[in-house]
Amino acid sequence: MTQMLEGIRVLEFATNVAGPFAGKLLADYGAEVLKIEPPTGDPSRNAGPFPDDIPHSEKSGLFLHLNTNKQSMTLNLDTEEGRAIARRLIGHADVVIDDFRPGLLDDYEMHYEAMSAGHPDLIMASITPFGQSGPWRDYAGSEITLQAMGGPLHGNGAPYREPAKLGGYTAHYHAGLATSLAILLARFRVEAGGAGDWIDQSVYEAQAGFRDRRTISLTAAAYSGLSSTRQPPGGRAAMGVRPAIDGYVNIFAGGTKHFDGFLDEIGRPDLKEHPDFGKQVHEYSAEYQQEIEGSYLAWLFETPKLEAVARTQRHGILGGAIMSTEDLVNDPHYRGRGVWETIDHPVAGPLEYPGRQLVLSDSPKAPARPAPLLGAQTVDVLTQLGYDRAALPRLRAQGVI
Amino acid sequence: MTPDARPERDAAHRLPLEGIRVADITVVWAGPHVTQLLGEWGADIVRVEPVTTIQPYSRGAERISTEAQYRYMGSTGVTMGIPPDFKPGEDPWNRSPSFNAHARNKRSMACDIRLPEGREAFFRLIEQCDVLVENNVPETIERAKITYDVLREVNPQLIMLRMPAYGLSGPYKNYRGFGTHVEGMIGHHLIRTYDDGTPEETGDAYTADAIAGVMGAWAVTAALRHRARTGRGQQIEMPLAEAFLPVIGEYILDYTMNRRRTEQQGNRHPSHAPHGIYPTAGDDQWIAIDVASDEEFGALCGVLGASALATDERFRTAGGRVEHRKALDAAVGEVTRGYDKEKLFHALQAVGVVAGPVHNDVEATRSPQLEARGFFEELTMEGVGTHRYPGIFTKWANTPNWVRTPPAKLGEHNEEIYIDLLGYSRQEYDDLCARGLVGTTYAPEVLRGRD
Repeated sequence: MTQMLEGIRVLEFATNVAGPFAGKLLADYGAEVLKIEPPTGDPSRNAGPFPDDIPHSEKSGLFLHLNTNKQSMTLNLDTEEGRAIARRLIGHADVVIDDFRPGLLDDYEMHYEAMSAGHPDLIMASITPFGQSGPWRDYAGSEITLQAMGGPLHGNGAPYREPAKLGGYTAHYHAGLATSLAILLARFRVEAGGAGDWIDQSVYEAQAGFRDRRTISLTAAAYSGLSSTRQPPGGRAAMGVRPAIDGYVNIFAGGTKHFDGFLDEIGRPDLKEHPDFGKQVHEYSAEYQQEIEGSYLAWLFETPKLEAVARTQRHGILGGAIMSTEDLVNDPHYRGRGVWETIDHPVAGPLEYPGRQLVLSDSPKAPARPAPLLGAQTVDVLTQLGYDRAALPRLRAQGVI
Repeated sequence: MTPDARPERDAAHRLPLEGIRVADITVVWAGPHVTQLLGEWGADIVRVEPVTTIQPYSRGAERISTEAQYRYMGSTGVTMGIPPDFKPGEDPWNRSPSFNAHARNKRSMACDIRLPEGREAFFRLIEQCDVLVENNVPETIERAKITYDVLREVNPQLIMLRMPAYGLSGPYKNYRGFGTHVEGMIGHHLIRTYDDGTPEETGDAYTADAIAGVMGAWAVTAALRHRARTGRGQQIEMPLAEAFLPVIGEYILDYTMNRRRTEQQGNRHPSHAPHGIYPTAGDDQWIAIDVASDEEFGALCGVLGASALATDERFRTAGGRVEHRKALDAAVGEVTRGYDKEKLFHALQAVGVVAGPVHNDVEATRSPQLEARGFFEELTMEGVGTHRYPGIFTKWANTPNWVRTPPAKLGEHNEEIYIDLLGYSRQEYDDLCARGLVGTTYAPEVLRGRD
C-alpha cells in the first residue's frame, strides 16, 4: 500500500521539538527523513523522560517520540568538510528543515539562494523564535517566553495570580506542525510543476496565529479595543471545571439549550420553574446560581468523573473529564481504537507510543520504525556519497562526523 | 500586506492550492481553521451554511446581545463575542470576532443540507470539489446521509476530512465537546494546571482546536498529493483527540516507560530555574523568564541588580535553583516588580537571558516585531467596517501572500455559486430565495426562536 508521502527526501538539521516534529510527521506518513545530528546528538536525547530515570542518550522519551521513522547521521557543521558534505546532501534532497539562528545558514554557506541555484525544486524550511527579519530577529526565545509574547498565555489561569503556560511544548509542537504543513504545500506545488521556496516560520508568529483563542481575541481587540482576561474559577453556574468524586469534570451546561436535561439529571427539575431559567449564564441571579451549584456539586460528590460525563452527554451537553496520562493510556475508548503503537527500539526496548493521528481509507499509515541510534546511517550515507571506508577513521579523528 | 506592496506572483510561484476547491460544512472552531489555512494558500473555499437554522457557536447568532450587554461582557474580560464598537447591528452574524477571525478567503453559500433542495445543491457542489471538510458530531453526518460511501458515488476522487472530537467509532463516538473538553479527555488540561493549584483555577483553553486545525490542513494537503500520484481520493478520519496526542507524546512515554502520571506543571520546568511568569510594574503586568545556565543566572541578577540572589548559596547551581525554586521564584518576583516589562525584556535579551513580556491582546496588536513582519492586515467588510486582522502565520521568501478577500458574510456569494458554479438558472435561484431556502439573513422565525 502506498503511503501518502512516499518518495519525498527530507534532510533535518533540527533539534529538540519544533523541527523534529515537522520531520516526524513527514516520516510517519512515508517520507524518507535523514536527521543530521551534531556528533554529540540532538540535545533532546538528554531530555528524558528515561526508563527508571536513568539518563541514556538512546532512551530519552522526548527523542524516541519525535524521531520515529527517521535515519540518523552525525555531521559537525563547525568543520569545513562537514559543511561540504551537508551541501552535497542538500543537492540530493527535496526538503531541508533547519532551526539555525538567523544568519547561520549564510555562515555555513547553505543559504537558500545558493542551494536552490540549479535545484529550483528545493524546499528549505527554517524555524526560528522570531523569524528571519524584524527588530527582534536575533532575540532568544523558549517555550514559556514565546507563549507569553505571542500566544494566549495572558488569558490562562486565575485572575488573582500569575498567568499559566500551556502544558509541555505546545508552542513548539504547533510551530513544527505549521512548518510541516508549509513544506507539504510547497512540495505539492513543486510536483505540479512549480518552484520550491524558502519557508520562514517564526514560533512567535505561529503563536499569534494560534486558534487557541489568540486570533479570535486579536480580532476582538481590533473590534472593541479590549483584551480578554483570566476568568475566576466557578464564575459560571454549572459551566467549567468542578470536582467529582474521583477527579474533575469540565461540563458546559448552564445557560445552554440542554440545561433542562441537566437539571433533570442532577435531580432538580424544579429549578426549571425559576424565572432565571432560560437566561444566559452570566445573567443568573446569585441565588439561582447558588441553588444550581449546590445541587450540582452534591451530585458530583457521588458521581465518578466519566460517569458524570456520560450521563450529561446523553442530554447533548458538551463536556469532558480531566484525565491524567494514566487514565488516558488505560482508557478503553482510545485502546479500542488502536491509537497506541508498540515500537521496539534496539536499546530502549518495546514501548507504547502515540501512533497514527489519521485513519486513512486509501493509504493507511505503515507500522513505525523506531527512532534511529545516533549516527546509525553515517557510514551508509558517506559511502553513497563516494567516500571510501578507509576515509572514515580520518573523518572521525578530525571531528567531522 | 498593503495593496501597493503586493507584487505579481509568477507561474512557478503561484499559491500552491490554486485550482483546488473545498466544500466546507464545518462548525465552531477547529474545522473552520482547516479551511482558513487551505484558503490562505490558494484553495477556493465554499462555505455551506444554512439560513433556515442557526449553527451554534459558529457565527454567534444564537447569542445576540444588546450593546449594554456587550459592554458588560467586555468589562469582565470576555471579549470573544463582542462585535465592532459593541454594536450588534442589523446583521450580528456578520460581526462575530470568532467567526471573522477565520472566514477570510472563503465564499459563503446559503444551503441547508438536511432539506431536499439543499441536498441537491450540495451534491452539485460536491461534483465540483476536490475536498470536503466537516467537523460535526458523527451522528449528524450519518443522519444527513452524506457519509463518504454516499459522496464518493457523486465524486469518486473526493477527499473527505472528518474531524469528530473522539472518532467515528468507540464509546465516545458521539460525545460532544469543544477543544477545551477534548484537552481534558487527553490529559493536557491536567498537565497545564498550576503545580500548586487545581484544574478549576486554569480555566478553558482551546488548544485542541488550534492543533487540529493545522493538522487537518496538513492531512488534506498530504491526501491531495497522494491523489495527484494515484488518482485516488479517500476519507481521512482525524479525531481532535488523536490529532493532539503527539503534542504530549513524551508524557505518554513517561507513563508507558515508568507507569508515572505526569504531574501538574504550571510554569515549572524540570531543569530550568528561575522559569516562570513574574510580576512587573503596573496592574496585571508580567514577564516570562527562562534561565537554563549559571551564566544566564548571573546575567539576570546583574540586570536586576540583585546581588543578594547572585551570592545566595542555595541558588549557586542549577540543581540548587531547581531544588529551591519556590524561594527563588518569590525572590525574583520581589525584584522584577519594580521594572517595566518592556524595558526589562530588552535589557535581559541584551545580556543573553531568555525573557519575554506577557502580552495581552491589545499589546500583541502593537508588537513592533509583528508590525515589521506585516503580520496584521487591514480588511474592509461592507457594513462592518475596516479593521486589522491577524494575518498569515508562515512566510515564504519567494511567494508573497496576503489575505485576498475579507471575512465572508452569510450567503454573500449565493448568486455566483448557485448560478455560475452550480449552473442553476436565474429562475431556479430566485425561487430558492423566494422560498427562504437561500438568502443573506436568517429566517425571522429562526431568529425569534433563538431565546
